[in-house]
Amino acid sequence: MAEIIENLKNGIIKSNPVLILLLGLCPTLAVSTSIDNAFGMTAAVLFVLVSSNIIVSLIRNYTPQRVRIPVFIVIIATLVTIVDLTMQAFLPSLSKSLGIFIPLIVVNCIILGRAEAFASKNKVPNAIMDAVGMGIGFGIAITIISFLRQIFGTGNLAVFGNEIFNVPGLSENPMPIFILPMGAFLVISLLLATLRYSGVIKSG
Amino acid sequence: MTKSNLKKEIVPVLFLTFIVCISVIFLYATNSVTEEYIEDAKNDAVNAMLNEQFTEMDDYSYDENLDFYTVFLNDEIVGYAFIAVANGYGGPIELIVALESNFLQDDEVIIHGISVVSHSETPGLGEKIVEAAFSDQFNGINVDDVALTKDGGKIDAISGATISSSAVVDAVFNVVKEKAEIIRENFDLNTEEET
Repeated sequence: MAEIIENLKNGIIKSNPVLILLLGLCPTLAVSTSIDNAFGMTAAVLFVLVSSNIIVSLIRNYTPQRVRIPVFIVIIATLVTIVDLTMQAFLPSLSKSLGIFIPLIVVNCIILGRAEAFASKNKVPNAIMDAVGMGIGFGIAITIISFLRQIFGTGNLAVFGNEIFNVPGLSENPMPIFILPMGAFLVISLLLATLRYSGVIKSG
Repeated sequence: MTKSNLKKEIVPVLFLTFIVCISVIFLYATNSVTEEYIEDAKNDAVNAMLNEQFTEMDDYSYDENLDFYTVFLNDEIVGYAFIAVANGYGGPIELIVALESNFLQDDEVIIHGISVVSHSETPGLGEKIVEAAFSDQFNGINVDDVALTKDGGKIDAISGATISSSAVVDAVFNVVKEKAEIIRENFDLNTEEET
């Protein structure tokens, strides 16, 4: 039991995929322009990560070593296509704003990384907890980044069309640089520097 | 080749083939479930897009060969619309351009309005092409006046986003010139056939 909780915590804090391992930065930087995108991306990644970890863990004793990477990629690609089609069918506007980054989950190193490094060597319950932990860790990181970018870049916070609050002064004169690609690099580097300096995360 | 070697070569191939077959089955199933909904979602998007231009409409038809929409209200044609793609600063800008139906009789082509369907322009600058302040400038003007004010037209460019503005203007001008001609010819043919 303790081991399973450890697996869950590992992804959220100790080896957070974005903040510590610095994996999966491409979608993190590219779609973190609004909180809506962050939630959509997290849901998609979480689903693919959990399902791929379950399947990889289930077939781990039968997978020939020599073709394991192609097998993982086929499984991940299938899951991603399922997510992509489902999103296009039921959440067309979200699918439009995430665009190419949904198909690109196939090559997201968090997912292949967890399949190879963890799920292919561990039992199903552990693999599930690892995937949930990693997914939540990814979600927390991308949500913090998109929160900061949205606040500084537009001056107000709106989630799924509902305005939550306005920053007085900033909403009239927002700093669009934070919404631009460059802002993503600024925010993530300042965030990492702050977290390391304050000792919240320790560099390995 | 010895027997155990053969097995070592064949098993991975068969395993991968097996996984691919299963994945194909799953994808086929997902596709057949979602196909209909994706089609509906696309239709809804087109409807919403046309509705933005023609607030009083109840139906539309799409000409696949000539790529334009005819918009109806109570079976009467109220206007035409088509998609224009402009070469924006941050990538393609997809626009819908609507025309009043009376250009078929008159010589001049009057634009009913335009709206942006999708774009990837810079937030805070080029993104302003979606705002009414810019796009409403096109409402009810003659196609020959579609040019930036500095080029003698009637459209004020967005300050700081000249590339985005002129991309939209050029795309609207070109597509209207082209499609108006096509729709006219097509309409003449239809009426000739009827008489």
